[in-house]
Amino acid sequence: MMVFILKNVSKKFTDHEKDLEILKDIDLYIADGEFLSIVGPSGCGKTTLLRMISGLDFPSNGIITENGVHVESPSPERGFVFQQYSLFPWRTVLDNVAFGPEVRGMDIEERYNLVRKYIEMVGLSNFQDSYPNQLSGGMKQRVAIARALVNDPNSLLMDEPFAALDVLTRHKLQEELVRIWEEEDKTIIFVTHNVDEAVFLADRVVVLSQRPGSIIKTFNIDLDRIRDRTTSEFLEMKKEITNLLESD
Amino acid sequence: MRKTLISLVVPTIIIIFWALLTTYTGIIPSYLIPSPHDVFVAFITLLVNGTLISDTIETLTRVILGFIVAAAVAIPLGIIIGWSKTIENYLGFTIGILRPIPPIAWIPFAILWFGLGLGSAIFIIFVGSVFPILINTADGVKRIDKVYVESASTLGADQYQTLRKVVVPAALPNIITGLKVGMGIALMCTVAAEMIGSNNGLGYLILTATSMLDSASAIVGMLTIGLIGLGFEYIFSSMERNLNW
Repeated sequence: MMVFILKNVSKKFTDHEKDLEILKDIDLYIADGEFLSIVGPSGCGKTTLLRMISGLDFPSNGIITENGVHVESPSPERGFVFQQYSLFPWRTVLDNVAFGPEVRGMDIEERYNLVRKYIEMVGLSNFQDSYPNQLSGGMKQRVAIARALVNDPNSLLMDEPFAALDVLTRHKLQEELVRIWEEEDKTIIFVTHNVDEAVFLADRVVVLSQRPGSIIKTFNIDLDRIRDRTTSEFLEMKKEITNLLESD
Repeated sequence: MRKTLISLVVPTIIIIFWALLTTYTGIIPSYLIPSPHDVFVAFITLLVNGTLISDTIETLTRVILGFIVAAAVAIPLGIIIGWSKTIENYLGFTIGILRPIPPIAWIPFAILWFGLGLGSAIFIIFVGSVFPILINTADGVKRIDKVYVESASTLGADQYQTLRKVVVPAALPNIITGLKVGMGIALMCTVAAEMIGSNNGLGYLILTATSMLDSASAIVGMLTIGLIGLGFEYIFSSMERNLNW
């Protein structure tokens, strides 16, 4: 079953009466429960593509549907994890994660029980009363993931969420994300410029060209998880995608 | 403690020079600047006869009332102006023209609209403090990091919830700055406000003392206003520190 269908999607920005073409003729089908990664060089429009799937931005041409319904505005059904830190600094970890259930009007006891479960899932139970400025970058992104998951979305859209983290933290969070994906059965669309990350995480890697971004090639990654970065298949796949990006 | 001591260095030096130039050498005659001793005597006199305390209470009442009305108007309006480009386009020009008008220029209208006394005083203080609160609030709302608003919408908040649960708390530091500046100006307006039909208050005390050439009492009134301002500054600063982020 397809969740997201993108048909002939293009995006132009108009700046000083000059059209700037960001994305061109994107056709993409994303299956239910799939872990899809989108890689591409900086400025190729991959973030814009993800924002359009979420409803934060709109295509200039073409259509995007989720389960047959036109995507018109952001929804808690499509959890979004931003690249930059997006936690509300005036709320504790607990109340950041509680934001979604709170605006939905869930009663307070049920809300906090649910929230604690998700904070535990990302391993931050000891920090539930901390404020974001007391957390490390990796912890902030864990909270952001919990904050999106607590709404029980169909899909999780992630925009280079681990880009600012050091390698060790990034690897740890990648493993946890795979574990969460396996447990929670969500569709994940993960944008990154890091080929290693894409190959480690995804079932399928979509490679975008330089601006205006269009799909050059799609790779199916058929390796068992948690993936071993040192196997020849892993390295071979990485090399192939990297070569493709560099030759573009 | 160390900070308190450091902050007292300059006032101490001023008082020493002030005393040297007046009481001890007479270089500056007392009709130009009263000596520290004269001011102290005036202070004790005003304190003992109760004027100083009752004037302080009167002024505080007017300032706080005018300030509350100003905040009640300026905070919601500032949030709306900061949030909606359209409303800013409608109101920006008008506010731009009204803002630089000195509060004292409104006195004739204050008398016509509110009569002599409390109403006029509150109005003058309102005019003085409404704009800094308004401008800072609008500015704070405009500067909110877009990612907070977008996060809220991806988490299911509607416009009103976003405004209440994200925009207002995110703008709170700027709102408090606006309140701080607004309170400073409210206090600066006390003399103007109490020119109209008041027969008490620190502004009135300064005006009457000045007209009777009692400059020592005027200085007592001035310093009292200064201390009140310092007190409010302290209150708002501790509110800022209590924001936790």
